[in-house]
Amino acid sequence: MRGGQAGPPAGQETHGDRVDMTVTDEELVARSIAGDNDSFNQLILRWERPIYALAYRQLGREEDARDVVQDAFLRAFRALPGFKGEAKFSSWLYRITLNLCRDVMRRAKRAPFVPTPEGMDIADLVSSDAAVKESIEDVVTRKDLGRHVARAMSLLPEEQRSAIILKEYHGLTFQEIAELQGCPLSTVKTRLYQGLTVLRRELDRQGRGPARVEGRTS
Amino acid sequence: MSDSRYCGNPDVLMSYLYEDGPGEERSAFEAHLRQCGRCAAEVASLRAVREDMAAWTPPETVLDFRIVRDPAPARNRWGWMSTMPAWAQLAAASLVIGVAAGLSGLDVQYGKDGLAVRTGWSRPAGAAPAAVAAGADAPWRADLVALQEQMRSELSRAASVPPAVTVSTAAAGGGKAMSDDEFMARVKQLIEASETRTQREMALRMTEMVRDMDTQRRADMRRVADGLGVLEGRTGAVTAQQREVMNYLMRVSQRQQ
Repeated sequence: MRGGQAGPPAGQETHGDRVDMTVTDEELVARSIAGDNDSFNQLILRWERPIYALAYRQLGREEDARDVVQDAFLRAFRALPGFKGEAKFSSWLYRITLNLCRDVMRRAKRAPFVPTPEGMDIADLVSSDAAVKESIEDVVTRKDLGRHVARAMSLLPEEQRSAIILKEYHGLTFQEIAELQGCPLSTVKTRLYQGLTVLRRELDRQGRGPARVEGRTS
Repeated sequence: MSDSRYCGNPDVLMSYLYEDGPGEERSAFEAHLRQCGRCAAEVASLRAVREDMAAWTPPETVLDFRIVRDPAPARNRWGWMSTMPAWAQLAAASLVIGVAAGLSGLDVQYGKDGLAVRTGWSRPAGAAPAAVAAGADAPWRADLVALQEQMRSELSRAASVPPAVTVSTAAAGGGKAMSDDEFMARVKQLIEASETRTQREMALRMTEMVRDMDTQRRADMRRVADGLGVLEGRTGAVTAQQREVMNYLMRVSQRQQ
């Protein structure tokens, strides 16, 4: 078993105020296997936001992502007695989530849905946590850029998209992604590179090109 | 140091970009970037893409999913029965029902009034089912019963007494022979007696039929009356409810004025 991990890495969304981070995932898993449901609920509190974010970025639809979160934790709970701890709990959970997302996409036989609203929801802008630190203009610009990224991501093949999401938003190592995707380390890096290249091209095509990069680097 | 091994090599490029790989390799690539403008530009543009990607955040949502413990199932005092085979359960149930029916003096009848189930405790001793429904308040009922009794007694008397014709014929067997007129008169008398008996029997049957019909009619009338009572009760409740709604509407409209 690997070294204990106490919840998601820094920077990921969690219910920080309600989660006891002094206990490792492995300890909570052991207590859950012994029949302590509260420990499993602690694991849910720790990981539901990252799992939701992963599912949303894979599927592009909030309702589907919520359903996948529920299914993933239910499956994990039922399969917990068989969890031997050979991988991290989070990796195991990511694997379950990715499989569920793949099932959803296969059932729907569609590419990820990219929401393209006509305008910004002011209430949504005001209520977001970032709005406290950012001006409304910055929030609008960021949301607009986010939509461009989502649209570009939807063009990627599933393997490239998964690799980028797991690396970029969840901070998994190349090795962990390789284990999740069942491919060699070099393949993961190639997928990442190819995916980032497509994203760069698409963002350039949408008017977010070299001028912006030059402006940022100068 | 411009090493062509690094140019266009995604493996080294990704390790450097994400700082995930052997430290020596990353240091060597960093030295390469100082010499190779193309690779430096590539890294800068990919870093810009990564910065843009940070803008893509999932929408806020409520995730209240939790595992809850099921309440412990109540201990079933008859749980041991589930281990019995089905045939044994059936036999036990039949035995219980049979004993209970015997003890209670169960009486099950299916007639024109439908299925009737009575127990020995609820059935009045010696009371016929028809007598329960038949009222004795009608004045003609006594006459009807008296007529029925009279007819029954006459019929039984007629059946017990041998016909006079037979006696006189037997008496005549040893004496003088009957003339044709006398014989015809006897036959006629015999036929008339038979007709009378048949008429009386017919009247008795009619009387019984009238009594049964009256019993049935009374039972039907009582059932209809019960049904009307229930309907009246329901209609009254609906009317009261409508009246309440009307009163409420009146109060609200007056308050608004």
